[in-house]
Amino acid sequence: MKFLKKIIQTNSNLSLGSFTVFYRNYLVWLRYYKPGIIGDILEPLLYLAALGLGIGKFIHNINGISYVKYIVPGIIASSSMYASAFESTFGAYTRMVTNGIYEAILLTPIGIEDIVSGEILWGTAKAFMSGIAVFVIGAAFRWIISPLALIIPIVIVLNGILFSSLSLLITSFSPSYDFFSYYFTIAISTMFLFSGVFYPVSSLPHLVRYFVYVMPLYYTVSIMRMLDEGKINTLLLSSYLLIIILFALTFFYASIYFIKKRVIK
Amino acid sequence: MENYILDVECLTKSFSRFKVLNNISFKIKSGDFFGLIGPNGAGKSTLLKILYGIVIPDSGSIKIKGLNLLSDYKKIKYSLGVVPQDDNLDDDLGVYENLLIYSMYFGISRTESLKRSNELLNFFDMNEKKYSKVSDLSGGLKRRLMIARALINNPSLIVLDEPTSGLDPEYRQNIWGKLKALNKNGVTILMSTHYMEEAEHLFKNMIILHHGNIVLQGNINDITLNKKSLEDIFLDIAKN
Repeated sequence: MKFLKKIIQTNSNLSLGSFTVFYRNYLVWLRYYKPGIIGDILEPLLYLAALGLGIGKFIHNINGISYVKYIVPGIIASSSMYASAFESTFGAYTRMVTNGIYEAILLTPIGIEDIVSGEILWGTAKAFMSGIAVFVIGAAFRWIISPLALIIPIVIVLNGILFSSLSLLITSFSPSYDFFSYYFTIAISTMFLFSGVFYPVSSLPHLVRYFVYVMPLYYTVSIMRMLDEGKINTLLLSSYLLIIILFALTFFYASIYFIKKRVIK
Repeated sequence: MENYILDVECLTKSFSRFKVLNNISFKIKSGDFFGLIGPNGAGKSTLLKILYGIVIPDSGSIKIKGLNLLSDYKKIKYSLGVVPQDDNLDDDLGVYENLLIYSMYFGISRTESLKRSNELLNFFDMNEKKYSKVSDLSGGLKRRLMIARALINNPSLIVLDEPTSGLDPEYRQNIWGKLKALNKNGVTILMSTHYMEEAEHLFKNMIILHHGNIVLQGNINDITLNKKSLEDIFLDIAKN
Protein backbone atom coordinates (compact mmCIF):
# COMPACT_ATOMS: atom_id res chain seq x y z
CA MET A 1 0.00 0.00 0.00
CA LYS A 2 2.84 2.32 0.95
CA PHE A 3 4.60 1.51 -2.32
CA LEU A 4 1.40 2.18 -4.26
CA LYS A 5 1.04 5.55 -2.52
CA LYS A 6 4.60 6.37 -3.45
CA ILE A 7 3.93 5.49 -7.10
CA ILE A 8 0.79 7.65 -7.20
CA GLN A 9 2.72 10.52 -5.64
CA THR A 10 5.54 10.09 -8.18
CA ASN A 11 3.04 10.09 -11.04
CA SER A 12 1.48 13.33 -9.84
CA ASN A 13 4.95 14.86 -9.79
CA LEU A 14 5.59 14.00 -13.43
CA SER A 15 4.92 17.01 -15.58
CA LEU A 16 5.86 18.79 -18.75
CA GLY A 17 9.30 19.08 -17.18
CA SER A 18 10.20 15.63 -18.50
CA PHE A 19 9.68 16.87 -22.06
CA THR A 20 12.01 19.78 -21.36
CA VAL A 21 14.71 17.36 -20.22
CA PHE A 22 14.04 15.28 -23.33
CA TYR A 23 14.27 18.40 -25.49
CA ARG A 24 17.59 19.43 -23.97
CA ASN A 25 19.07 16.02 -24.84
CA TYR A 26 17.59 16.22 -28.33
CA LEU A 27 19.19 19.65 -28.92
CA VAL A 28 22.60 18.33 -27.90
CA TRP A 29 22.10 15.24 -30.07
CA LEU A 30 21.35 17.44 -33.08
CA ARG A 31 24.79 18.91 -32.65
CA TYR A 32 26.66 15.60 -32.55
CA TYR A 33 24.35 13.14 -34.24
CA LYS A 34 26.55 12.08 -37.15
CA PRO A 35 29.03 9.82 -35.32
CA GLY A 36 26.18 8.47 -33.17
CA ILE A 37 24.23 7.30 -36.16
CA ILE A 38 27.00 4.88 -37.13
CA GLY A 39 26.59 2.99 -33.86
CA ASP A 40 22.83 3.19 -33.60
CA ILE A 41 21.80 2.53 -37.16
CA LEU A 42 24.68 1.26 -39.29
CA GLU A 43 25.92 -1.38 -36.86
CA PRO A 44 22.68 -3.39 -36.65
CA LEU A 45 22.46 -3.27 -40.44
CA LEU A 46 25.96 -4.73 -40.63
CA TYR A 47 24.88 -7.61 -38.38
CA LEU A 48 21.84 -8.17 -40.52
CA ALA A 49 23.88 -8.23 -43.73
CA ALA A 50 26.84 -10.25 -42.45
CA LEU A 51 24.94 -12.88 -40.46
CA GLY A 52 21.73 -12.93 -42.46
CA LEU A 53 23.37 -13.20 -45.84
CA GLY A 54 26.67 -14.82 -44.81
CA ILE A 55 25.59 -17.51 -42.33
CA GLY A 56 22.24 -17.61 -44.08
CA LYS A 57 23.97 -19.31 -47.01
CA PHE A 58 24.59 -22.36 -44.82
CA ILE A 59 21.35 -22.33 -42.81
CA HIS A 60 18.63 -22.77 -45.35
CA ASN A 61 15.73 -22.09 -43.04
CA ILE A 62 14.51 -22.06 -39.46
CA ASN A 63 10.90 -23.25 -39.05
CA GLY A 64 10.46 -22.79 -42.79
CA ILE A 65 11.74 -19.20 -42.82
CA SER A 66 14.97 -18.10 -44.51
CA TYR A 67 17.72 -17.21 -42.03
CA VAL A 68 17.90 -13.50 -42.88
CA LYS A 69 14.14 -13.20 -42.42
CA TYR A 70 14.37 -15.16 -39.20
CA ILE A 71 16.84 -12.78 -37.56
CA VAL A 72 15.16 -9.48 -38.60
CA PRO A 73 12.84 -9.20 -35.53
CA GLY A 74 15.70 -10.20 -33.22
CA ILE A 75 18.00 -7.55 -34.69
CA ILE A 76 15.24 -4.92 -34.36
CA ALA A 77 14.87 -5.80 -30.67
CA SER A 78 18.60 -6.08 -29.91
CA SER A 79 19.61 -2.91 -31.76
CA SER A 80 16.99 -0.88 -29.91
CA MET A 81 18.19 -2.46 -26.67
CA TYR A 82 21.80 -1.43 -27.40
CA ALA A 83 20.85 2.12 -28.43
CA SER A 84 18.89 2.81 -25.25
CA ALA A 85 21.45 1.01 -23.06
CA PHE A 86 24.32 3.14 -24.36
CA GLU A 87 22.33 6.37 -24.01
CA SER A 88 21.07 5.65 -20.52
CA THR A 89 24.46 4.51 -19.18
CA PHE A 90 27.34 6.46 -20.72
CA GLY A 91 25.18 9.41 -21.80
CA ALA A 92 23.20 9.67 -18.57
CA TYR A 93 26.29 9.19 -16.38
CA THR A 94 28.03 12.05 -18.19
CA ARG A 95 25.04 14.30 -17.58
CA MET A 96 24.54 13.22 -13.98
CA VAL A 97 28.12 12.96 -12.68
CA THR A 98 30.68 14.43 -15.07
CA ASN A 99 28.80 17.56 -16.19
CA GLY A 100 26.52 18.10 -13.18
CA ILE A 101 23.51 18.70 -15.44
CA TYR A 102 21.04 16.99 -13.10
CA GLU A 103 22.11 19.22 -10.24
CA ALA A 104 21.78 22.31 -12.43
CA ILE A 105 18.27 21.26 -13.51
CA LEU A 106 17.26 20.54 -9.91
CA LEU A 107 17.83 24.20 -9.07
CA THR A 108 14.77 24.90 -11.20
CA PRO A 109 11.17 23.74 -10.58
CA ILE A 110 11.98 20.49 -12.41
CA GLY A 111 12.17 17.55 -10.03
CA ILE A 112 14.06 14.29 -10.08
CA GLU A 113 10.97 12.43 -11.40
CA ASP A 114 10.94 14.72 -14.46
CA ILE A 115 14.66 14.21 -15.02
CA VAL A 116 14.40 10.42 -14.85
CA SER A 117 11.32 10.23 -17.06
CA GLY A 118 12.84 12.73 -19.51
CA GLU A 119 15.98 10.61 -19.69
CA ILE A 120 13.92 7.45 -20.27
CA LEU A 121 11.91 9.22 -22.94
CA TRP A 122 15.14 10.21 -24.64
CA GLY A 123 16.66 6.70 -24.34
CA THR A 124 13.44 5.37 -25.86
CA ALA A 125 13.72 7.82 -28.77
CA LYS A 126 17.25 6.54 -29.44
CA ALA A 127 15.95 2.96 -29.28
CA PHE A 128 13.20 3.87 -31.70
CA MET A 129 15.58 5.42 -34.23
CA SER A 130 17.78 2.36 -34.19
CA GLY A 131 14.98 -0.22 -34.23
CA ILE A 132 12.94 1.52 -36.89
CA ALA A 133 15.98 1.75 -39.22
CA VAL A 134 16.31 -2.06 -39.17
CA PHE A 135 12.56 -2.39 -39.60
CA VAL A 136 12.51 -0.12 -42.65
CA ILE A 137 15.49 -1.87 -44.27
CA GLY A 138 13.85 -5.24 -43.52
CA ALA A 139 10.64 -4.06 -45.15
CA ALA A 140 12.51 -2.60 -48.15
CA PHE A 141 14.22 -5.94 -48.85
CA ARG A 142 10.95 -7.81 -48.24
CA TRP A 143 12.42 -9.63 -45.26
CA ILE A 144 9.37 -8.73 -43.18
CA ILE A 145 6.79 -11.48 -43.45
CA SER A 146 3.33 -10.53 -42.12
CA PRO A 147 1.37 -7.25 -42.20
CA LEU A 148 0.97 -7.69 -38.45
CA ALA A 149 4.60 -6.57 -38.30
CA LEU A 150 3.24 -3.01 -38.61
CA ILE A 151 2.59 -3.26 -34.85
CA ILE A 152 6.32 -3.84 -34.20
CA PRO A 153 7.16 -0.09 -33.80
CA ILE A 154 4.95 -0.04 -30.69
CA VAL A 155 6.95 -2.94 -29.27
CA ILE A 156 10.18 -1.05 -30.09
CA VAL A 157 8.91 1.79 -27.88
CA LEU A 158 8.14 -0.66 -25.06
CA ASN A 159 11.58 -2.20 -25.48
CA GLY A 160 13.14 1.27 -25.33
CA ILE A 161 11.32 2.17 -22.11
CA LEU A 162 12.33 -1.19 -20.63
CA PHE A 163 16.04 -0.95 -21.39
CA SER A 164 16.35 2.79 -20.72
CA SER A 165 14.86 2.24 -17.28
CA LEU A 166 17.08 -0.77 -16.55
CA SER A 167 20.18 1.07 -17.78
CA LEU A 168 19.38 4.19 -15.77
CA LEU A 169 18.99 1.99 -12.71
CA ILE A 170 22.48 0.59 -13.34
CA THR A 171 23.78 4.16 -13.82
CA SER A 172 22.37 5.16 -10.44
CA PHE A 173 24.76 2.66 -8.79
CA SER A 174 27.73 3.18 -11.05
CA PRO A 175 30.87 4.63 -9.43
CA SER A 176 32.63 5.17 -12.81
CA TYR A 177 32.40 4.59 -16.54
CA ASP A 178 34.37 1.32 -16.15
CA PHE A 179 31.53 -0.14 -14.12
CA PHE A 180 29.41 -0.29 -17.28
CA SER A 181 31.70 -3.04 -18.65
CA TYR A 182 30.08 -5.42 -16.15
CA TYR A 183 26.61 -4.44 -17.29
CA PHE A 184 27.37 -4.69 -20.99
CA THR A 185 29.24 -8.00 -20.69
CA ILE A 186 27.12 -9.77 -18.11
CA ALA A 187 23.67 -8.47 -18.99
CA ILE A 188 23.50 -6.87 -22.42
CA SER A 189 25.82 -9.16 -24.42
CA THR A 190 24.40 -12.24 -22.73
CA MET A 191 20.89 -11.20 -23.69
CA PHE A 192 22.02 -10.41 -27.22
CA LEU A 193 23.46 -13.91 -27.64
CA PHE A 194 20.93 -16.01 -25.70
CA SER A 195 17.50 -14.37 -26.06
CA GLY A 196 16.58 -15.97 -29.34
CA VAL A 197 17.88 -13.27 -31.67
CA PHE A 198 19.88 -15.73 -33.82
CA TYR A 199 18.28 -19.11 -33.11
CA PRO A 200 15.20 -20.54 -31.35
CA VAL A 201 15.70 -20.69 -27.59
CA SER A 202 14.19 -24.20 -27.71
CA SER A 203 17.48 -25.42 -29.17
CA LEU A 204 19.31 -24.56 -25.93
CA PRO A 205 19.79 -27.14 -23.15
CA HIS A 206 16.99 -27.16 -20.56
CA LEU A 207 19.06 -25.63 -17.78
CA VAL A 208 20.22 -22.70 -19.92
CA ARG A 209 16.65 -22.02 -20.98
CA TYR A 210 15.66 -21.19 -17.40
CA PHE A 211 18.24 -18.40 -17.44
CA VAL A 212 16.82 -17.12 -20.71
CA TYR A 213 13.38 -16.76 -19.12
CA VAL A 214 14.66 -14.09 -16.73
CA MET A 215 16.07 -12.02 -19.61
CA PRO A 216 13.74 -9.16 -20.57
CA LEU A 217 15.01 -9.17 -24.17
CA TYR A 218 13.68 -12.71 -24.65
CA TYR A 219 10.11 -11.43 -24.29
CA THR A 220 10.45 -8.52 -26.70
CA VAL A 221 12.20 -10.70 -29.30
CA SER A 222 9.43 -13.30 -28.94
CA ILE A 223 6.63 -10.75 -29.38
CA MET A 224 8.31 -9.12 -32.36
CA ARG A 225 8.84 -12.54 -33.97
CA MET A 226 5.19 -13.52 -33.40
CA LEU A 227 4.06 -10.28 -35.06
CA ASP A 228 6.56 -10.57 -37.89
CA GLU A 229 5.61 -14.14 -38.72
CA GLY A 230 1.91 -13.46 -38.13
CA LYS A 231 1.64 -16.46 -35.79
CA ILE A 232 -0.13 -14.97 -32.82
CA ASN A 233 -0.70 -17.00 -29.69
CA THR A 234 -3.00 -14.62 -27.77
CA LEU A 235 -2.27 -16.08 -24.34
CA LEU A 236 1.49 -16.04 -24.89
CA LEU A 237 1.40 -12.56 -26.43
CA SER A 238 -0.58 -11.03 -23.58
CA SER A 239 1.44 -12.72 -20.86
CA TYR A 240 4.72 -11.65 -22.50
CA LEU A 241 3.40 -8.09 -22.80
CA LEU A 242 2.45 -8.14 -19.14
CA ILE A 243 5.94 -9.36 -18.22
CA ILE A 244 7.57 -6.55 -20.24
CA ILE A 245 5.33 -3.92 -18.64
CA LEU A 246 6.06 -5.28 -15.15
CA PHE A 247 9.81 -5.28 -15.84
CA ALA A 248 9.62 -1.73 -17.21
CA LEU A 249 7.56 -0.36 -14.31
CA THR A 250 9.84 -1.96 -11.73
CA PHE A 251 12.99 -0.58 -13.35
CA PHE A 252 11.38 2.84 -13.86
CA TYR A 253 10.35 3.38 -10.24
CA ALA A 254 13.55 1.81 -8.92
CA SER A 255 15.64 4.18 -11.06
CA ILE A 256 13.69 7.21 -9.76
CA TYR A 257 14.27 6.02 -6.20
CA PHE A 258 17.99 5.35 -6.56
CA ILE A 259 18.84 8.39 -8.72
CA LYS A 260 17.10 10.55 -6.12
CA LYS A 261 19.15 8.86 -3.41
CA ARG A 262 22.33 9.52 -5.34
CA VAL A 263 21.76 13.14 -6.35
CA ILE A 264 19.96 14.50 -3.26
CA LYS A 265 21.82 13.84 -0.03
CA MET B 1 5.40 42.42 11.39
CA GLU B 2 8.81 42.35 9.69
CA ASN B 3 8.92 41.13 6.13
CA TYR B 4 11.21 38.08 6.14
CA ILE B 5 12.00 36.41 2.84
CA LEU B 6 13.87 33.54 4.48
CA ASP B 7 13.19 32.03 7.86
CA VAL B 8 15.42 29.15 9.02
CA GLU B 9 14.66 27.49 12.32
CA CYS B 10 16.54 24.82 14.28
CA LEU B 11 18.22 23.34 11.22
CA THR B 12 20.31 20.23 11.84
CA LYS B 13 22.21 18.00 9.44
CA SER B 14 24.65 15.15 9.93
CA PHE B 15 26.59 13.11 7.39
CA SER B 16 27.20 9.62 8.81
CA ARG B 17 27.79 10.53 12.45
CA PHE B 18 29.44 13.85 11.76
CA LYS B 19 27.26 16.81 12.67
CA VAL B 20 27.66 19.44 9.95
CA LEU B 21 24.94 21.85 11.11
CA ASN B 22 23.82 22.15 14.68
CA ASN B 23 20.52 23.81 15.43
CA ILE B 24 20.91 26.77 13.06
CA SER B 25 18.32 29.58 13.16
CA PHE B 26 18.35 32.90 11.34
CA LYS B 27 16.11 35.19 9.32
CA ILE B 28 16.70 37.37 6.29
CA LYS B 29 14.67 40.48 5.55
CA SER B 30 13.49 41.29 2.06
CA GLY B 31 16.04 43.46 0.25
CA ASP B 32 18.95 42.44 2.48
CA PHE B 33 22.46 41.60 1.28
CA PHE B 34 23.09 38.80 3.73
CA GLY B 35 26.45 37.16 4.19
CA LEU B 36 27.58 33.79 5.37
CA ILE B 37 31.19 33.40 6.40
CA GLY B 38 33.17 30.81 8.29
CA PRO B 39 36.34 28.75 8.08
CA ASN B 40 36.57 25.81 5.65
CA GLY B 41 34.36 22.95 6.82
CA ALA B 42 32.16 25.25 8.91
CA GLY B 43 29.02 24.02 7.12
CA LYS B 44 28.44 26.99 4.78
CA SER B 45 27.98 24.97 1.60
CA THR B 46 25.80 22.37 3.31
CA LEU B 47 23.56 25.13 4.65
CA LEU B 48 23.21 26.69 1.19
CA LYS B 49 22.66 23.28 -0.45
CA ILE B 50 19.82 22.65 1.97
CA LEU B 51 18.32 26.00 1.00
CA TYR B 52 18.35 25.12 -2.68
CA GLY B 53 17.14 21.58 -2.22
CA ILE B 54 20.16 19.38 -3.04
CA VAL B 55 20.62 18.32 0.59
CA ILE B 56 17.73 17.28 2.82
CA PRO B 57 18.03 18.41 6.47
CA ASP B 58 17.62 15.95 9.36
CA SER B 59 15.36 18.36 11.23
CA GLY B 60 14.30 21.98 11.35
CA SER B 61 12.13 24.20 9.21
CA ILE B 62 12.87 26.52 6.31
CA LYS B 63 10.39 29.03 4.98
CA ILE B 64 11.02 31.03 1.85
CA LYS B 65 8.46 33.77 1.24
CA GLY B 66 6.29 32.05 3.83
CA LEU B 67 6.27 28.74 1.96
CA ASN B 68 7.70 25.57 3.44
CA LEU B 69 10.77 24.52 1.44
CA LEU B 70 10.31 20.78 1.83
CA SER B 71 6.65 20.62 0.83
CA ASP B 72 6.41 23.57 -1.62
CA TYR B 73 9.83 23.33 -3.27
CA LYS B 74 8.43 23.62 -6.82
CA LYS B 75 6.60 26.86 -6.05
CA ILE B 76 9.59 28.25 -4.19
CA LYS B 77 11.98 27.58 -7.04
CA TYR B 78 10.09 29.97 -9.29
CA SER B 79 11.27 32.84 -7.10
CA LEU B 80 14.70 31.50 -6.20
CA GLY B 81 17.96 31.93 -8.14
CA VAL B 82 20.96 29.77 -7.30
CA VAL B 83 24.67 30.03 -8.11
CA PRO B 84 26.33 26.88 -6.75
CA GLN B 85 30.03 26.76 -5.97
CA ASP B 86 30.94 24.32 -8.74
CA ASP B 87 30.43 25.28 -12.35
CA ASN B 88 27.56 23.22 -13.71
CA LEU B 89 26.87 25.13 -16.91
CA ASP B 90 25.74 22.97 -19.80
CA ASP B 91 29.02 22.48 -21.70
CA ASP B 92 27.24 20.81 -24.62
CA LEU B 93 25.35 24.04 -25.33
CA GLY B 94 26.51 27.56 -26.15
CA VAL B 95 26.26 30.67 -23.94
CA TYR B 96 22.93 31.90 -25.30
CA GLU B 97 21.50 28.37 -25.43
CA ASN B 98 22.38 27.86 -21.77
CA LEU B 99 20.12 30.76 -20.86
CA LEU B 100 17.36 29.74 -23.26
CA ILE B 101 17.24 26.13 -22.07
CA TYR B 102 17.35 27.23 -18.46
CA SER B 103 14.38 29.51 -19.00
CA MET B 104 12.56 26.55 -20.51
CA TYR B 105 13.07 24.63 -17.26
CA PHE B 106 11.12 27.46 -15.61
CA GLY B 107 8.39 27.27 -18.21
CA ILE B 108 9.11 30.81 -19.44
CA SER B 109 7.57 31.56 -22.87
CA ARG B 110 9.84 31.75 -25.90
CA THR B 111 9.49 35.49 -26.53
CA GLU B 112 9.97 36.27 -22.86
CA SER B 113 13.04 34.01 -22.61
CA LEU B 114 14.68 35.57 -25.70
CA LYS B 115 14.10 39.03 -24.26
CA ARG B 116 15.31 38.10 -20.80
CA SER B 117 18.43 36.25 -22.06
CA ASN B 118 19.46 39.25 -24.16
CA GLU B 119 18.92 41.62 -21.25
CA LEU B 120 21.03 39.45 -18.99
CA LEU B 121 23.86 39.10 -21.52
CA ASN B 122 23.78 42.85 -21.82
CA PHE B 123 23.81 43.40 -18.07
CA PHE B 124 26.81 41.09 -17.66
CA ASP B 125 28.67 42.60 -20.64
CA MET B 126 28.67 39.26 -22.45
CA ASN B 127 27.02 40.24 -25.71
CA GLU B 128 30.00 39.41 -27.87
CA LYS B 129 30.18 35.95 -26.26
CA LYS B 130 26.54 35.18 -27.07
CA TYR B 131 27.35 32.44 -29.57
CA SER B 132 30.55 31.17 -27.91
CA LYS B 133 30.94 27.70 -26.52
CA VAL B 134 30.83 27.53 -22.74
CA SER B 135 34.15 25.65 -22.73
CA ASP B 136 35.81 28.64 -24.46
CA LEU B 137 34.90 31.06 -21.64
CA SER B 138 37.39 32.16 -18.99
CA GLY B 139 36.70 31.35 -15.32
CA GLY B 140 35.41 34.86 -14.69
CA LEU B 141 33.04 34.80 -17.66
CA LYS B 142 31.74 31.38 -16.67
CA ARG B 143 30.95 32.74 -13.24
CA ARG B 144 29.12 35.70 -14.75
CA LEU B 145 27.11 33.34 -16.94
CA MET B 146 26.25 31.27 -13.86
CA ILE B 147 24.89 34.40 -12.18
CA ALA B 148 23.03 35.43 -15.34
CA ARG B 149 21.50 31.96 -15.51
CA ALA B 150 20.38 32.23 -11.88
CA LEU B 151 18.52 35.44 -12.75
CA ILE B 152 16.62 34.09 -15.74
CA ASN B 153 13.42 33.58 -13.70
CA ASN B 154 13.51 37.09 -12.16
CA PRO B 155 14.04 35.70 -8.65
CA SER B 156 13.35 37.73 -5.53
CA LEU B 157 16.05 35.82 -3.61
CA ILE B 158 19.37 34.65 -4.99
CA VAL B 159 21.70 32.29 -3.18
CA LEU B 160 25.38 32.36 -4.16
CA ASP B 161 28.01 29.97 -2.83
CA GLU B 162 31.42 31.66 -2.99
CA PRO B 163 30.75 33.20 -6.41
CA THR B 164 34.08 35.00 -6.66
CA SER B 165 36.39 32.29 -5.37
CA GLY B 166 39.39 31.75 -7.62
CA LEU B 167 38.79 34.92 -9.64
CA ASP B 168 41.31 37.71 -10.12
CA PRO B 169 40.60 41.08 -8.43
CA GLU B 170 39.29 42.69 -11.61
CA TYR B 171 36.65 40.03 -12.23
CA ARG B 172 35.81 39.97 -8.53
CA GLN B 173 35.15 43.70 -8.46
CA ASN B 174 33.11 43.44 -11.62
CA ILE B 175 30.90 40.81 -10.00
CA TRP B 176 30.61 42.92 -6.83
CA GLY B 177 29.32 45.79 -8.94
CA LYS B 178 26.70 43.57 -10.60
CA LEU B 179 25.53 42.10 -7.29
CA LYS B 180 25.27 45.53 -5.69
CA ALA B 181 23.21 46.77 -8.63
CA LEU B 182 20.88 43.79 -8.33
CA ASN B 183 20.48 44.34 -4.61
CA LYS B 184 19.73 48.00 -5.22
CA ASN B 185 16.96 46.88 -7.56
CA GLY B 186 15.33 44.97 -4.72
CA VAL B 187 16.75 41.46 -5.13
CA THR B 188 17.55 39.87 -1.77
CA ILE B 189 20.98 38.24 -1.78
CA LEU B 190 22.34 35.48 0.40
CA MET B 191 25.98 34.80 -0.31
CA SER B 192 28.88 32.94 1.23
CA THR B 193 32.50 33.95 0.94
CA HIS B 194 35.85 33.45 2.56
CA TYR B 195 37.20 36.83 1.43
CA MET B 196 36.86 39.23 4.34
CA GLU B 197 37.24 42.35 2.27
CA GLU B 198 34.41 41.11 0.10
CA ALA B 199 32.23 40.61 3.16
CA GLU B 200 33.01 44.11 4.42
CA HIS B 201 32.35 45.59 1.02
CA LEU B 202 29.04 43.88 0.30
CA PHE B 203 27.17 42.52 3.29
CA LYS B 204 24.63 44.42 5.35
CA ASN B 205 23.88 41.58 7.77
CA MET B 206 25.68 38.32 8.26
CA ILE B 207 26.26 35.17 10.26
CA ILE B 208 29.57 33.53 11.05
CA LEU B 209 29.48 29.75 11.15
CA HIS B 210 32.03 27.60 12.92
CA HIS B 211 31.85 23.80 13.36
CA GLY B 212 28.20 23.89 12.32
CA ASN B 213 27.17 26.53 14.86
CA ILE B 214 26.33 30.21 14.44
CA VAL B 215 28.98 31.95 16.52
CA LEU B 216 28.18 35.53 15.57
CA GLN B 217 25.15 37.12 13.98
CA GLY B 218 24.01 40.63 13.21
CA ASN B 219 24.59 43.84 11.31
CA ILE B 220 28.11 44.03 9.90
CA ASN B 221 28.71 47.50 11.40
CA ASP B 222 27.76 46.24 14.86
CA ILE B 223 29.97 43.17 14.48
CA THR B 224 33.04 45.18 13.51
CA LEU B 225 32.33 48.02 15.96
CA ASN B 226 34.80 47.09 18.72
CA LYS B 227 37.38 45.21 16.71
CA LYS B 228 39.88 46.26 14.11
CA SER B 229 38.54 44.33 11.19
CA LEU B 230 36.37 41.41 10.19
CA GLU B 231 39.54 39.50 9.42
CA ASP B 232 40.65 39.72 13.08
CA ILE B 233 37.26 38.53 14.27
CA PHE B 234 37.36 35.67 11.78
CA LEU B 235 40.87 34.62 12.85
CA ASP B 236 39.88 34.70 16.54
CA ILE B 237 36.96 32.42 15.80
CA ALA B 238 38.96 30.06 13.60
CA LYS B 239 41.60 29.65 16.33
CA ASN B 240 39.03 28.43 18.87
